[in-house]
Amino acid sequence: MGMKYRRYLAGERVYGCATCRTHLATIHSMISRAFNGQHGRAYLFDGVVNIVEGEPNDRQMTTGKHTVRDIYCVKCGATLGWKYDRAYEGSQKYKEGKFILERNLLVDVQ
Amino acid sequence: MDRIPASNGHTNGNGLSSPIANGSSPLGNGVQKHGSSIARVSLPGSTLYDDSYIDRQEFVRLVIQSLRDVGYIESAATLEAESGYSLEAPEVSEFRQYILNASWGSAEALLVRLGVADEESLWEARFLIGQQKYLELLEARKTAAALQVLRNELAPLNVDPDQLHLLSSLMMSSDPEDLRRRAGWDGASGASRQQLLAELQRQSFYSSYFDAFPRVTTMILEVHADEVWNIAWSHNGEYLASASKDKTAIIWRIGSESEPSMRECAPELILRDHPYSVGCVAWSRDDAILLTSADHLIKMWDARSGICLRTLDAHSETVSALTWLPDGSGFISGGLDRKIILWDAEGKQRDSWGITAMRVTDLAVSPDFSRLVSVGMDYVAPTPPAHEFEHGHGRDTSPPISGSGNGASIANVPRSPENWMIIYDLASKQMESSIRLDGELTSIKISDDSRYALFNRSPDEIHLWDLAAGQLVRKLTGQRQEHNVIRSCFGGIDGNFIVSGSEDGNVYVWHRDSGSLLEVLSGHGEGSVNSVAWNPRNERMFASCSDDNTIRIWEVPPTDAFELSSGRADYSQLEPSGKGKGKVNQQWDGA
Ligand SMILES: [Zn+2]
Repeated sequence: MGMKYRRYLAGERVYGCATCRTHLATIHSMISRAFNGQHGRAYLFDGVVNIVEGEPNDRQMTTGKHTVRDIYCVKCGATLGWKYDRAYEGSQKYKEGKFILERNLLVDVQ
Repeated sequence: MDRIPASNGHTNGNGLSSPIANGSSPLGNGVQKHGSSIARVSLPGSTLYDDSYIDRQEFVRLVIQSLRDVGYIESAATLEAESGYSLEAPEVSEFRQYILNASWGSAEALLVRLGVADEESLWEARFLIGQQKYLELLEARKTAAALQVLRNELAPLNVDPDQLHLLSSLMMSSDPEDLRRRAGWDGASGASRQQLLAELQRQSFYSSYFDAFPRVTTMILEVHADEVWNIAWSHNGEYLASASKDKTAIIWRIGSESEPSMRECAPELILRDHPYSVGCVAWSRDDAILLTSADHLIKMWDARSGICLRTLDAHSETVSALTWLPDGSGFISGGLDRKIILWDAEGKQRDSWGITAMRVTDLAVSPDFSRLVSVGMDYVAPTPPAHEFEHGHGRDTSPPISGSGNGASIANVPRSPENWMIIYDLASKQMESSIRLDGELTSIKISDDSRYALFNRSPDEIHLWDLAAGQLVRKLTGQRQEHNVIRSCFGGIDGNFIVSGSEDGNVYVWHRDSGSLLEVLSGHGEGSVNSVAWNPRNERMFASCSDDNTIRIWEVPPTDAFELSSGRADYSQLEPSGKGKGKVNQQWDGA
């Protein structure tokens, strides 16, 4: 709630929304490139900025059942990936609270 | 017989519980016994210590103010005398001396010069002074002179007959001790003159303050479908423009009828066609054009027809500020893309500051045309000059603004700490000075006399900055600001109030010259009060806008609600006694 300016990131490599170039994440916060999204390759990030989170829902994934929410660009509303709220498999717990951004929905802004 | 004709008996302790401890209140404050008897200490230099960067005068004045605020009036006076740094106008000290020396005639003569202008305050002050004079004469057994005062000075003031009768009955006191006891008054050699001073300050300030302060909601404007982020009054004071997260701006007509219930407050025009939430609104000098900003776009609207005249697309990131030049010849925009652009009144680019050192979060032009003051974040030193970084739109080859070094998680990356206020000479566009501040700066306003700048600083502070002296005057606190863009403004007669929104949903009001918090106005719903705007043509009206989707219009309470509308304890002293009519502002205990 309330008016906030979008955040701007700095670093060697900054990923932004492919539609509107809003800053989303830096390469420093990338945990893994080995994910697949609906549009191919996807990255797991420790933290992202300038996103809106959707409602949680349970999804069956290749690594088991997870509670996730879709995430959208705060400026243009484009769907960018999802956030893991909860992983049911113990081995997948490391993903909780982390974010998936789909590579094809990203663009290098810096 | 324990009626108490002087209100002194009701003031608690030092009689200085007024929230207005000092400052421009016409009658000043407290006690200054020492004044002339304390030697001024003169010190070299202007800093507090040899190797300190703290400005001594500023520091000492803050201490004096703090002492006053808690009631250490004598200590404050002593410090004033020793340091030579006075918070008061000379007339105020003069007035104090007159009262303390019982120079009643001189004190009365000074009242008007002190700016006690309204009838009610003058009446109150004359009555209180006359009463003190009368009691002192009685105490000195100068009964004939006292009777003169009663007949020729107090009676013509149309004092309540019962009150006059009570005062005259004190003539029957058997001796000074009996008089003091019956009057509940501690005599000329006691604290009564000091209490009179405190009471004069309280009464004169309160009556003018309560007469003039808009603290009642008279209208709630409810049309926006989402949070209202910003508001601006037209220069004629008849229209209010609002900017909302709902991607519209609305022009409201706030009629000039003095009776709020008769006034229309319908949305005159709803300006749609913004692809994003609307963040800024700015009226041209003649109120013919309204500018709005929606993310990186600026739109120029015909404010009468609601037709969009132009859409300006020169910024690549959010436009955070729109301000017209004082002569109406054009306007200036600032953005998070670091650009500051000067446009003519038709919307053609006339000049530019280029890519400035920081992402601009707000800017303002001083009414005297001398300065442009901007606040912002992500400051990068402007050297070397070759680094003109272009952001956004396809210029990926530019070097990084700042290397963030090793891989800290951005999940908890705070905003860049590099927040600055930069003051430019408007004509030359040269940087006059720049001040680094911790915390995000989200609003900047300049006072009508071009002297002060006012900005919100997260968390929870508002700074009043003296542009001429280049120094902080004071900090205002009480309101909440942590995450959001919250704005403040000057208001009232001579801009003597400061108002701000707050993340706790209240509107906060301070007295500019003392920094005292005067009001915390509730009424808005859940979320932040994002912005406030004082009506430029009506010093008794301002507006606030909130996350609750509404705008509130605040006005001076109607006079018949005067005595009951405040929960302030001190204010009960101003309640009419219920006896006689009108001008009976003293409270009387039962016989
Ligand atoms: Zn986007």
